[in-house]
Amino acid sequence: MAKKQGNKWGYAFQAIVTVIVALATLEATFLLQYYFSRKSIYAEATRRAEGQLEATNLMITDVLDQVETTVRNNVWPVRKTLAIPDSLWSLTRRIVDCNPSVSGTAIATMENYFPDRGRLFCPYAYRNGDRIDTLQLGSESYNYLEKEWFLKTLESEDGYWSEPYFDTGGGEMLMTTYSLTVSDMQGRPAAVLTADISLDWFTDLVGSVPEYPGAFSALVSRTGKLMVCPAPALVMKKTAQEVAADMADSTAVRDIVLAMLAGERGSRQVLYKGEKEYVFYAPINRANWSMAIVIPHKEIYGDVQRVGLLVILLQVLGLLVMSYILYTAMKNQMRFRDVSEKKNRMDSELRVARDIQMSMIPTSFLSVSGREELDISGMVVPAKEVGGDLYDFYDRDGKLYFCIGDVSGKGVPAALVMSVTRSLFRSVSAHEKSPQRIVSAMNESMADMNENDMFVTCFLGILDLSTGHLRYCNAGHNAPVRVGSGKAAFLDVIPNLPLGVMPGMKFQEQETDLAGGEGLFLYTDGLTEAENADHALFGDARLLENAVRLGGGKADDFVKAMAAAVKSHIRGCNPSDDLTMLYVRFTNPSPAAGADRHLVLHNDIDEIPRLQAFMQSIAEETGLGHALAMSLNLALEEAVSNVMLYAYPPETDGLVYVSAHIGEDRLDFRISDNGIPFDPTVAADPDVAADVKDRPIGGLGIFLVKHIMDQVSYCRENGKNILSMTKKR
Amino acid sequence: MTARLVGRLDTPAAAEVTQEIQPLLDHASETIVLDCSELTYISSSGLRIFLTIRKAASAAGGHVVIEGLSNEIRQVFMMTGFLQLFEIR
Repeated sequence: MAKKQGNKWGYAFQAIVTVIVALATLEATFLLQYYFSRKSIYAEATRRAEGQLEATNLMITDVLDQVETTVRNNVWPVRKTLAIPDSLWSLTRRIVDCNPSVSGTAIATMENYFPDRGRLFCPYAYRNGDRIDTLQLGSESYNYLEKEWFLKTLESEDGYWSEPYFDTGGGEMLMTTYSLTVSDMQGRPAAVLTADISLDWFTDLVGSVPEYPGAFSALVSRTGKLMVCPAPALVMKKTAQEVAADMADSTAVRDIVLAMLAGERGSRQVLYKGEKEYVFYAPINRANWSMAIVIPHKEIYGDVQRVGLLVILLQVLGLLVMSYILYTAMKNQMRFRDVSEKKNRMDSELRVARDIQMSMIPTSFLSVSGREELDISGMVVPAKEVGGDLYDFYDRDGKLYFCIGDVSGKGVPAALVMSVTRSLFRSVSAHEKSPQRIVSAMNESMADMNENDMFVTCFLGILDLSTGHLRYCNAGHNAPVRVGSGKAAFLDVIPNLPLGVMPGMKFQEQETDLAGGEGLFLYTDGLTEAENADHALFGDARLLENAVRLGGGKADDFVKAMAAAVKSHIRGCNPSDDLTMLYVRFTNPSPAAGADRHLVLHNDIDEIPRLQAFMQSIAEETGLGHALAMSLNLALEEAVSNVMLYAYPPETDGLVYVSAHIGEDRLDFRISDNGIPFDPTVAADPDVAADVKDRPIGGLGIFLVKHIMDQVSYCRENGKNILSMTKKR
Repeated sequence: MTARLVGRLDTPAAAEVTQEIQPLLDHASETIVLDCSELTYISSSGLRIFLTIRKAASAAGGHVVIEGLSNEIRQVFMMTGFLQLFEIR
């Protein structure tokens, strides 16, 4: 239960981590996007503010230029008119009349310039509604000679722009005045010519920032006087410095004001009443003024913040949906896991592999145990690590098909290959009767799909349950032990290559006969390589020793006793490999007399003595006479050596199969091989009556066979040369 | 010159003996006695050696005598017509 809970939490944890990672990714993307949008929006705001500053600057400069030009253009007329003081009145009137942007103009003459007009003479014309009125400005109460604009103008060659001021005489207008010195014909300063312009129109021009309704702008004079600002009450009443000083968090504002008064250009961020504001400022050089545009932070970022909020909202919504889906999926998963856990309680890969392996190995021998001619038993002693051992058997048409195998490698891959091998054994052997063909077909399949370079050693046999005749094919597996009563020896096997190594391999089949009571003990290297603490292997010698000791006993007893022997050898060490055993014992109750006898020889004439021993044992067991035995031996040798020498191409390995059936009244022999088709019976007999010099050296062998045997016939079947011979008793 | 044949002259044995009969062939013009009293078995390859020696003798004007043939081997000689080719004692 605790484990199950642990898994659940594990899954929940995994899900939470997934959500968090997804969230983090989403959020990071969003933040990045937000950051870049803000950056570009700020750049846009800067661009707009600077554009506006520039445009305003240009327009103001343009108007100021007009006024300056007007004044300069009238310097000459004024100089000329100085000779006739009264004409100065009409001149001023004409200047105002001809220049719509000029609201008033004055010609302030130097002290006592026209003695007859008094010390201070200053004709002045100004707009009064649609009219143009004139008046003499100079008086003892208004001594222009001492005024700053008058003195500065005289000092300056380029003229002088006055500080803005409120026109108290006329229409209560914000004004500024441009003044320029006019010299007489002798080059002495004679008068100062001035032109007033109203700054009211500035308020409209400067005051609004079209793109940002909440923004405002301000215009300050060179001394800091507020010419335009959102609070009309402050205009011309206070300086920017004073306003800045009055503000609570004013350091930044003061810095800006100082920068503006210094004619600098730039932008700053300030906090005003808890609100962030962006201030862009630039000088209007012509008049030494400075203009600032103030845009509230929320005006600039309002949109992007709204969009950001929307995105976050959508994300939260999406996350909720995702969480719900995840939650549902997790619940289903857990339910599924609960069910499957109850079902087979597998909690690890090892378990799965072990289950695969074990489920494939027959543990019930009932299917074939009903046969009195067969006694079979098998066992897998599992090691800690799963191997790929297998055995399998079944009977069909009175024959027992059986195999044992060992997959290279361990773990799940080995177990899977093992199950494939077992399935192949079943499917291929269902329609093949030759071990060699079954093994070859299995090899083709396995080599074809062998991407992991896994291979399988395998021994496959087919035991004829009526005769004890065993046909078998070995694919790189350990040689089984042939066990009789009180005797045991390794079965003669041609090793061949394991299954799956390469396609197109040729496997060679062998055959032999099991006598009644004889058995075949198959095992994997987990047996012979079982190691004890001293690193001593169980080994072949112990295997044979035990097999001799146990020979003749029942299959089940044999396998159990062998397992016990291995266990006592390793004395508590953990086996590193599965120990797999299969014992097939032939208990044919019929007498051995009627049985076929088989012998398999390599195509090497040095194997001939084995043929002699084979014949001799037949002769002894069946009581053949010495002379008959010798001539049968001779016939067999001639037939067999003929195959050995000629059936297979030179230097290639091949086999010769000999079988004998000893009947009551006749003896049947069969010699077969897989060599090139050749019928020895068609050779012409040598002329045994010929003279010495005419006798050929060869050709006697088959002649002897024909002479000794009563019947000799040849046929070719399934790629085999088969020579059948019969001798009557 | 006498050569004594002992045991089984089967196919592998005959292959060995073939390598060793040169001394006999060198004396093909004389009388060669082949003592078969201890020969227990002969195959066609064995017979072939006998025939080789006999042909050499015949060509060189010599003579081959076989001694001590067992009944079983005599049977084989008879079957193959070899009894007529040799002087059997």
